[in-house]
Amino acid sequence: MLPLALSGVAISFPGLAQPVLSIDGLAVPAGGRLAVTGASGSGKSTFVNLVSGLERPDTGAIRWRDTDIATLSESRRDRWRATNVGLVMQDFHLFPGLAAIDNVLLPARLARAATAEIKARALELLSRVGLSRPNQSVETMSRGEMQRVAVARALLRRPGVIIADEPTASLDTEAGAEVGRLLLELADQEGATLIVVSHDERLTERLDRRIRLAAGRVVADTAAEVSP
Amino acid sequence: MIRFVFADLRRLWAASLVIVLLVALATALGVAVTLQERALRLGSARAADKFDLIVGAPGSETQLVLSSVFLQPAALPLMPGEVLTKLIADPHVAWAAPIGFGDNFIGYPIVGTTTALISGTTTGFTKGQMFAHEGEAVVGSGVDLSVGTEVKPMHGAAGEGGETHADSIYHVVGKLQPTGTAWDRAILVPIQAVWHIHGLGEDHDHAGEANADHNAAAEGGEEHHHGHIDADAPLDESFSRDVPGLPAILVKPKTIGDAYTLRQTYRTTEGTRAVFPAEVLTSLYATLGDARTVLMYVAYGAQTLVAAALMLIAVIHVAQRRKQIGALRAFGAPRFAVFGIVWLELLLLVAIGVGAGFGLGYGAAEFLAGLFTAQSGVHMPVEFTTSDAVLAATFLTVAALMAALPAALAYRQSPVEALRG
Repeated sequence: MLPLALSGVAISFPGLAQPVLSIDGLAVPAGGRLAVTGASGSGKSTFVNLVSGLERPDTGAIRWRDTDIATLSESRRDRWRATNVGLVMQDFHLFPGLAAIDNVLLPARLARAATAEIKARALELLSRVGLSRPNQSVETMSRGEMQRVAVARALLRRPGVIIADEPTASLDTEAGAEVGRLLLELADQEGATLIVVSHDERLTERLDRRIRLAAGRVVADTAAEVSP
Repeated sequence: MIRFVFADLRRLWAASLVIVLLVALATALGVAVTLQERALRLGSARAADKFDLIVGAPGSETQLVLSSVFLQPAALPLMPGEVLTKLIADPHVAWAAPIGFGDNFIGYPIVGTTTALISGTTTGFTKGQMFAHEGEAVVGSGVDLSVGTEVKPMHGAAGEGGETHADSIYHVVGKLQPTGTAWDRAILVPIQAVWHIHGLGEDHDHAGEANADHNAAAEGGEEHHHGHIDADAPLDESFSRDVPGLPAILVKPKTIGDAYTLRQTYRTTEGTRAVFPAEVLTSLYATLGDARTVLMYVAYGAQTLVAAALMLIAVIHVAQRRKQIGALRAFGAPRFAVFGIVWLELLLLVAIGVGAGFGLGYGAAEFLAGLFTAQSGVHMPVEFTTSDAVLAATFLTVAALMAALPAALAYRQSPVEALRG
C-alpha cells in the first residue's frame, strides 16, 4: 500500500507551447481510491505514464512513499514498476499463443521472479477473477475474460498500487461492470492504492475521490469540494 | 523467456519456417560444395592409394592416371611390350603388372591384367577364387554378376557399344571384396586373353608388327585381326619375351627410394613415361580447389544475401511489434529480457536453419556421391571434419552478432511511445 505525492510536476513535448500536464500538488494516501477523468487530450494518459514511471517529468517530484521515481533511471523505473505497480490497460496487452496462466506469469518470469509461491498465487488470482480454466489460450477468450486475466496479472506481485487506464472502455457494459467491481474488490482485499483513469462514470463514481483534467491541469477535485 | 520465445515462434510458424528454409538453403549450398569437394579428393586419393607408379607410353600423364586408376575409357598410346619384361626383372620392383583395356560387358570395363595386380590391390575374395585359366574372369564387388556367369566381351570401351567377340566367352570364377575404387566395377581377365581375342601375342612373329594398330586400347570400328580365347589354356604370367604393346603397367616398387629411382629411369627412357598417380592427382586437386573456391564465393554471396534479408525482416518485425515490446516493458519485463527475447528468437531460427542446412548439404553431397559412385565405382566418403564445426560456429557467431542489432532496437524502444502508437 503506497501513498502518492506529486509536487511541481510538469512535462512538455517538443513543439507544444503548453505543458501536456502540469500538477502543482496532488496527494493520495496509502490505500486511497483516485479516479482521473477528462476529455481525450486532457493529459490523462500522460498522468498514467508519469505515476507509473513509464515517463519522466521535466520538473517536479513523483513520490511513492519514499521513492521519487522522477529521479530514477529508465532501468530502475522498470524495476520499480515491476515490483510496485499493477497496470491494467484498455487494450489488455495479453500475448497470443500463451495460456491465461502463462500470460499472468509472463512479466514475473521475464524478471526471474516466478517462484513457486508466485505460481500458486497466479492460479489463485485467476480463480478469484472468476476464470476456472487457467490453461485456456487467451485468443479463445471473450474481451471481458481477457481483461480479467489482465487484472490477475496486475495483482500477481502484490503491488502497492494498481493503476488502470480506461480498464472498461473496450468492454461491453456488463463485462465492464464486472471488471470495475473486481478492481475495487481486489484493491480492497490486497490493500493496494488504486488509481483509475476512466470516463466510465459508473466506475469512477464508486471511487473515493475524483479529479478532472483539462488541458493538462486539474480543473475539478472532489476532495477540494468536500474540504476546501 | 524460453516459453515465450517458443509460443511466439509457434504463432509465427509460417514466417519462421520461411526464415529457417532460407538459412538452411544458403548453408546447405556451402556445406554441399565443401563436402563434395572433400569427398572427391578423399575418394580419388583412396582409389589411387594402391597405384604407386604407372608406366605408360609418352602422352598425357593425367590421361594415363585417369585411364589406369579410374578406368576412364580413352585411347592410350602403347609402349613396347619389352618394358614389362624389363620391369619384372628390375630389382627395384616388387611386382609389375600390365593393364589392358578395350572390351566391355554390359557397361562394365573388361581389364586384362595379372594375378599379381589383383592380389596386390585387393583384400581378397568374397566368393570364388582367382582366375587360373585364360577363359576365366574375376569381377569387382560393384559388378552385378555372380560366380559362374558367362561374360561375352564387346569390343570397345564401356558405353560405346561395338561388336562382340562372338566365339570368346569368359566364366566368372571369383568376386572380389569391395575396395572403394573404380576397379570395383571392372571385370578382370588374364591379360593373355585380351591379347588373344585381339589376335596379339599368339603368333609371335606377327605380334611385333601388330602392336601398332591392334592394340587393346579402344579404337572401335576398324578392321581387326580377331582371335579367340583358348579357354582352358593355363595362365602364363612370365612375360619373358615377345610381349605385345601395352597402354599401362602398374608398378609396385620395393621401397619409396625405389619408387623414385624407377620413375627417374622410366621417365627418361625412350618411349616410356612414369608417373606417380598421387602427384598427378595433387595437381588435379589444385584445379578442383579453384573450382571449390569459386563455388564457395557463390555460396558466401548467397549467405550474405540471406543475412541481409534476415536483418531486414528482423528490423521490420521489431518495428511491427513495438506495441507488444512496449507492453512487455510496461508490465515489468526488464529491458534485458526484451533484448533477450528478440535476440534468442532470431538466433534460434538461424541455429535451426544452420542445423538443417548442414543436414541438407550432407544429404545433397551423399546423393551426388552416390551417383558418382554408381557411375565410376569410386567410393566417395562424405564426412564432416573439425573445420565444418568451425564453420558452423562461425555462422552462429555471425548470427548472434547480427541478431543483436534488432534486439538492441527493441531494447532501446521507449515503452510509452510504443503503447501510444
